[in-house]
Amino acid sequence: MSQLSVRHLLGIKNLTVQDIELILETADKFKEVLNRPTIKKVPSLRDLTIANVFFENSTRTRLSFELAEKRLSADIINFAASNSSVKKGETLLDTVNNILAMKVDMIVMRHSSPGSPHFLAKHIKANIVNAGDGTHEHPTQALLDAYSIREKHGEIAGKKVVIIGDIAHSRVALSNIFALKKLGAEVAVCGPKTLIPKYIESLGIRVEHDVFKALQWCDVANVLRIQLERQHSRDFPSLREYALYFGVNKSLLDRLDKKITIMHPGPINRGVEITSEIADSEHSIILNQVENGVAVRMAVLYLLAEQTA
Amino acid sequence: MNILLSSVQILDPDSPFYRQRTNVLIRDHRIVSIGNEHFESDQIVDCQAFSLSAGWLDMFCHIPEGSEWKDDLLSVSQAAAAGGFTEIAMLPNTQPVLQNKQAIEFVKSKSKFLLTQIHPIAAASLETEGKDMTEILDLRQAGAVAFSDGLNPLTSGRLLVSILQYLQHFDGLLINLAEEKSMTEYATMHEGIHSVSLGLKGMPSVAEKLAIIKILELLRYAGGRIHLSKISTSEGVELIRNAKKEGLQITCDIAAHQLAFTDADLADFDTNLKVKPPFRSQNDIESLIAGLQDSTIDCVVSAHEPHDEEGKKLEFDLAEFGIIGLETAFASLNTYAKLSVEQMVEKLALNPRKILGLEIPKIAVGELANLTLFDPLQTWTFTKKDIRSKSKNTPFVNHVFTGKVIGVFNQSQFQLFL
Repeated sequence: MSQLSVRHLLGIKNLTVQDIELILETADKFKEVLNRPTIKKVPSLRDLTIANVFFENSTRTRLSFELAEKRLSADIINFAASNSSVKKGETLLDTVNNILAMKVDMIVMRHSSPGSPHFLAKHIKANIVNAGDGTHEHPTQALLDAYSIREKHGEIAGKKVVIIGDIAHSRVALSNIFALKKLGAEVAVCGPKTLIPKYIESLGIRVEHDVFKALQWCDVANVLRIQLERQHSRDFPSLREYALYFGVNKSLLDRLDKKITIMHPGPINRGVEITSEIADSEHSIILNQVENGVAVRMAVLYLLAEQTA
Repeated sequence: MNILLSSVQILDPDSPFYRQRTNVLIRDHRIVSIGNEHFESDQIVDCQAFSLSAGWLDMFCHIPEGSEWKDDLLSVSQAAAAGGFTEIAMLPNTQPVLQNKQAIEFVKSKSKFLLTQIHPIAAASLETEGKDMTEILDLRQAGAVAFSDGLNPLTSGRLLVSILQYLQHFDGLLINLAEEKSMTEYATMHEGIHSVSLGLKGMPSVAEKLAIIKILELLRYAGGRIHLSKISTSEGVELIRNAKKEGLQITCDIAAHQLAFTDADLADFDTNLKVKPPFRSQNDIESLIAGLQDSTIDCVVSAHEPHDEEGKKLEFDLAEFGIIGLETAFASLNTYAKLSVEQMVEKLALNPRKILGLEIPKIAVGELANLTLFDPLQTWTFTKKDIRSKSKNTPFVNHVFTGKVIGVFNQSQFQLFL
């Protein structure tokens, strides 16, 4: 078995356990390539053209994809537009069809609307990689998070992972929940009640509102960025209060009777959801996540390209 | 013109032939003979599988005059006829809004020669903005059958009280939606496990419940008569059931499509499933069916809301709410509600007219034909070709239904879909 069950990476929800394992194993091989002293590059996607279409701001995800594509020797074009300028005229479908008319094979898209890559998939032929669709999914982030947990802890099954922060406005949380559950981890979410969707327990996870208790329970804590830009109304009184009552800091970690791993998908609001002391500490694997992101994205692109062939 | 409906089941409760099969002869658009003897006729329709009732009336239908490429009076009339409706009450959300005498007269005069007659519902507030009352007495004089802000729920307590009081001058009817808007802003589907896993903001059932509680309190205070359209939740049905027991003058309807889908069906982000109120849970559907059966829910409406492709072929959160429904309303009701044909006729033909104060057409000798002929058992597949509306925004394409409209008669016209 060396093929994905899907033509697009729309979300973790649509992947089988075998798909996820295949991606992680393939990423192992690409990580070796990236760690070579010279020629950190393979010719696998030499004949493919990939368009990175970003309708929402992104630095690290876009760079990570771009680097992954370059390491695979693909040709790339980049398109970035704020949603508002697109809204004025062209529809999403027209924009993408125009790009595809220039003979592009694969689309990596970030968009603020949940389901927008699913919508595209119904209307275009190219493979689609979801690089984040609003408050829905961010599948490559979840895959690189899973990869990083596996790298640090040997395996994911049986591990306890808590996701802390703004769960309601987070695509990272949802994709992580789907991925970790499929791989056999126990998952909890933690944060103020207003930032946790009412029915989230039905996904088979625990809900905790006390950060200390959540940290004491877990092996791994994935701390999310507070998504101020995605909130239509303020669901908590102030950043100051958030940092005081829900932030992850040294005194909390010192009170634990065990060592836990700290993750963050970035970009970090230092001093809000996590203090610098912790983000830069030995507990943290935040920069490993970034490094693994390139290998995981190479694996995704490579495996999807095989589906086209 | 001469047409014989042979061996048709009569579903007029006032007819001596009620529930029986007999022959009905229509000549020059008038019922001229009813009985078991054979009548000579140019055209004979074998109706052994069919039932005949007063023509159906749709109480909640949006005709987007002003955006005529989506639908206009003529195309809606044709779609309505195909769906078995011989009369429609049209929402005021046109451009310009139906809020003066001239607009009401325009609709009435334009619909004079259409098979499906169109009754205007006038705006209750100016521009349907929910601030100031329209000239209700004058609009009624011109022929408005009811008052409503249509697709925009009226929420101001002060204005609701004023309108309810003012309408009592002539026992007028206010039609309203039940939506607490502060809880549905930015939401695109029902709040529940599916909205969580799709990353979409949900409209909680409590938003409907709160709106109904508020409206019931205002009705107790102001008196008058209100009809709530497109009820969608278990909680809503229960509140209205109790309000009716209490003796409040409240009636309600559901959209026929509400019975056919749940929030689970949105997994693929199909914008033709984006409706307001949203598709809810199976439990809610069961409660709606119970409400239909015990007469808590008086009517079933098409909730026809045409949108062009530009409004629907979009990202889910940017797409418009609403679907067309005239051609599929009866089929959806008949397929999913488990009602008797007698109950269906109540919901589609009798109760809407009682609520709007319109005369109920009779199946009796001497009457002008205002009739719907239908087959409650026929199984068929709805396809794109069956769409008469100018807009195609429906999730029902390739849907298999039980129950088909066979013909309609009204305004000295008829159409058979054999």
